[in-house]
Formats: sequence, C-alpha cells, structure tokens
Amino acid sequence: MISWQTFFMAFFGIAAIVFGAAVFVTSSMMRSALALLFSQTALGAMFLAMQAEFLGVLQIMMMATEMSIMAIFMVMFMMDPGGLGDMDMSHQKRLSILAGVAAAVFSAVIAIAAHWPAGPETLSEVASAGAQVRALGVELLGRSMLIFETAGVTILTAMIAATAVAIPPLQRSKAHES
Amino acid sequence: MSPDLLVALFTGAALFGIGVYGALSQTNLVMLMMGVELILAGALVNLVAFWRFLHPDSYAGHMFVLIVMTVMAVEMAVGFGVAIARFRARGSVEMEEARELKG
Repeated sequence: MISWQTFFMAFFGIAAIVFGAAVFVTSSMMRSALALLFSQTALGAMFLAMQAEFLGVLQIMMMATEMSIMAIFMVMFMMDPGGLGDMDMSHQKRLSILAGVAAAVFSAVIAIAAHWPAGPETLSEVASAGAQVRALGVELLGRSMLIFETAGVTILTAMIAATAVAIPPLQRSKAHES
Repeated sequence: MSPDLLVALFTGAALFGIGVYGALSQTNLVMLMMGVELILAGALVNLVAFWRFLHPDSYAGHMFVLIVMTVMAVEMAVGFGVAIARFRARGSVEMEEARELKG
C-alpha cells in the first residue's frame, strides 16, 4: 500500500515537472517566470513531504524571491513580456528535445540500475525539525565550516562582480577619472 | 530500494531533462537561465532524497543542498549582471545576436 509520504511526494513531484515543462511551453515570459516559481515551490513542498522541513522552507522562500526578481527582469528586458505577439524565442528545437529526453532517460535508467545502499530500517524515524536544524547548525559550525564560509564569500564575490559588470561604461570611466 | 527514493529520483531526472531542453533551445538569456535553474533543481531533489532515504543521520547531505542553492543564487546574480551589460550594449538579451562571443 502507498504511504501518505509517497503519495504527497509523487503529487508534488508531478506538479514540479508539469510546471517545469510549462516554463518552455507558454509564449508569455511572465507566465514562464510564474510557472518556474510554482515548479520550485512544488519542489519545496516535496522537501517538506520528505521531512526536510528546514530545506523545504528555505527553498520556497529563496525561490519566491528569485523568481519575483526574474519576473521584474522579464518585464524590463523583453520586447513582448506578455507574449501577445506570439514570438518564438527558441532554436535547434529537435536537437534540444532529443538531448532533454536522452538526459532524462539516462538519469532514470541510472536511478533504476544503480545498487543504492540499504537505507535505515524504519523510514519514519527521522529527527524532528528542531533536531534537524540543531544538527545542521552543529555541522555548519563544525567540519563543514570552511565549505559554508566559502559559499558565503562566493555569493559576496558574485554580487560585487555582477554589480561591477552592470555599471554603465560611462559612469565607470567617470569614476576612473575622478 | 525504497519506492519513495525512486519517486524522488524520477522527479529529478525529469526536471534535469526539461532543464537541458530549456538551456539548449532558448535564445533569450533569461529563459536560458531558467533552464539552468531547472537542472539544478533536479540535482537538489536527488540530494535531499539521498539524505532522507539513505543517510538520514548525516547532515553533510544538507550541506550539499546549501551549496547547490548557493550556486543557483550565484548563477542568477552573474547572469543578470551579464544581461544588464548586454542590454546596455546591444539593446537585447537575445543570445542569437551574441555570436561574436564565439571567438
């Protein structure tokens, strides 16, 4: 018999896939951004179904912010963000579909064929949300501290680099002169 | 193998495939980044499932997830920086018009 966990995982998984596919089906950029937001949110809900509460909430919060920014950029940059002109913004479609299907099938075959190690005997016995956050905190400030710090510095570097790239050339040269 | 793990891995595989399609087929930089986001989302599902169904006692799995989320954020930041620079220079973020970058 299918457990509730399996049911909700499959439900949110299918939702994530359907909305993920909708990103590239619609001709409206705004709808694409919203579809990606729903796909990522469904993924966050799937994490919650897998009892990874912290990661699930983090995923939903992060993606809601990211996709909102993406939607704003869509409106800023697109000639036709509403998709009213029915513009086609794709190329090499046949090759892309082939590559996408091949990648998905290959990954699925590996998932079936691989000899995964045996998991815990009772799957329901996972630490509570509070205990998980505590254990993650211990992990972050313990042996994974360097990795965590590196991730932080990487984001900071990316923010500075992105800002530097985005500054208009005129302002850049003026700042250089002064 | 747990059927739950299989559900998660299949979801990851499907998202990965859709992402590959998007990254290869789209001509717009922002749409292209959406494809990359989906590829990384596929990796995220797998990592959370590996933690949950194979090693629930090891929180290094959570660290991997946080690193992938960092990569997603970095990709967005740098991608939008490049998009703004490109839009200022050419008035468009269509990658078809960026063929001169080929070298």
